[in-house]
Amino acid sequence: MTTQPTRVMLVDDHTLVRRGVRLILEQEPDLEVVAEAGDGAEALALLRDPEVGPVDLVVLDIAMPRMTGLQAAREIARRQDPPRMLMLSMHDNEQYFFESLKAGASGYVLKSVADEDLVAACRAAMRGEAFVYPGAMSALVRDYLDRIRRGERVPGSVLTAREDEVLKLIAEGSSSKEIARALTISLKTVERHRANILAKLGMRDRTQLTRYAIRAGLIEP
Amino acid sequence: MRVAELPLYWKVCLINGAVFAAGTLVLALAPLSVSEQVLASEAAVLAVGLTLMVATNAALLRRSLAPVDRVARQMQQTGLVDSGTRLEPPSSEPGDRLVAAFNQMLDRVEAERSTSNAKALAAQEAERHRIAQELHDEVGQTLTVVLLGLKQLESRAPDELVPDLVAAKETARDALDEVRRVARRLRPGVLEDLGLHSALAALATDFSAAGRAQLTRTFGRGLPPLSNEAELVVYRVAQEALTNVARHAEAHHVDLSLTRLGDRVVLEVTDDGRGCAHLEPGSGVLGMRERAVLVGGELSISSRPGQGTRVRLAVPCEPGLPDVPDVPDVPDAGGSRR
Repeated sequence: MTTQPTRVMLVDDHTLVRRGVRLILEQEPDLEVVAEAGDGAEALALLRDPEVGPVDLVVLDIAMPRMTGLQAAREIARRQDPPRMLMLSMHDNEQYFFESLKAGASGYVLKSVADEDLVAACRAAMRGEAFVYPGAMSALVRDYLDRIRRGERVPGSVLTAREDEVLKLIAEGSSSKEIARALTISLKTVERHRANILAKLGMRDRTQLTRYAIRAGLIEP
Repeated sequence: MRVAELPLYWKVCLINGAVFAAGTLVLALAPLSVSEQVLASEAAVLAVGLTLMVATNAALLRRSLAPVDRVARQMQQTGLVDSGTRLEPPSSEPGDRLVAAFNQMLDRVEAERSTSNAKALAAQEAERHRIAQELHDEVGQTLTVVLLGLKQLESRAPDELVPDLVAAKETARDALDEVRRVARRLRPGVLEDLGLHSALAALATDFSAAGRAQLTRTFGRGLPPLSNEAELVVYRVAQEALTNVARHAEAHHVDLSLTRLGDRVVLEVTDDGRGCAHLEPGSGVLGMRERAVLVGGELSISSRPGQGTRVRLAVPCEPGLPDVPDVPDVPDAGGSRR
């Protein structure tokens, strides 16, 4: 990680939500909010504005007037040297997650767990990893387990006993928090197991994830 | 005007008149006379004549009027439950005019009913949409602000307050989850934002996640475009059909498919569950049917005990809309330039 803090732009049509997110992010020394926009079009204008300066990461709400977060993400991804992007959304639906990946975002954070996941997701995005939203994770894992059951060859090495336990709980739709409680381990450890499982399944960045999801029929191409 | 097209009243008059005229003619021309004291033989002749007249009149009137009675009986039996049934016009007058008028009225009533149902359903969907949007945009965002605020406080508060703050935060989170669930039930945002394919895929994922049965989906490529209303109907029918499978079918396997057949898009939900001989009225079948009617679609359900159930919906595609272009491939890692 560089010594320079990550320069973040917040895009959400609710001023109060932007303020709340800003307060959470600015508690972290490695994150700095440098700009705020009320919709996608304004975000694009600000990215072009030389006064704002370079932006490393854009945090986008999905539902916004004028230009939605997904449309804005597609536009931003077309720029030269696009900043990394994270979607912040109310929708608990893995279709939005995969659609966000297709639009070029690195991750998807649910607003109801933003207080816990947002900072980790920002850091994952800056490392070039995909931050996988729990609902999508369980869809991926269920598909993986289905393939094993049908005797198909699956990528990746064998999981440890602990990872198997976590995998099973993920498949049942438990959140990271519930898994942590069930296995009496810390939330951080659960996150690490999740990351390891993804890595072992050969799905670490967003492109691999999107390809897999399309092939598995979790989303339509 | 031909005799057959005469109004009913004039026809009866004409028949009666003709019979009386015939009787009068016979009386005038025949070599008969009636004594002042009617003789038995004369009475017999009169009786025969009268019987003949009444019988002729009855036979003629019967030919004309019986179809009316039959039509009236049929009308009583015609319910509005099975739309589309029409009376068979009888071969003769005046029944067929009556039947034609009755059938026209049925057409009008059904058209009327269908538009008023459409209006009611559209109003209901619009209202759901509005409520879901308000839940998302107002209540949801406010709760998000509360959640983030509490999180922020947590890091600055003295230790003894932290457990209470955490509890408050969890309550806010639960409320937010609940708001989201309610909004999602009210209106599938995914349909509007991401389209029919994604919405059906989400339904399929939800169904698989519930773990009731295995689901295979087949979505044809290059499907013709549907109007927004038709997409919503397809989505709602798929939703209802899958709900029925989960509730009643005890199936191991379900097929969900959306394919093109000529100028129609066909949705099929087939399960291998227990099926049933008679469709339960409460299973939302009527609702599915009414929705199908709204967009000029056809819904058919076939089910037999032990052999599963198949729900099939065919909707005509919008002729005016251009074909949906195939979505380009996923962009490469990091590089989102195309």
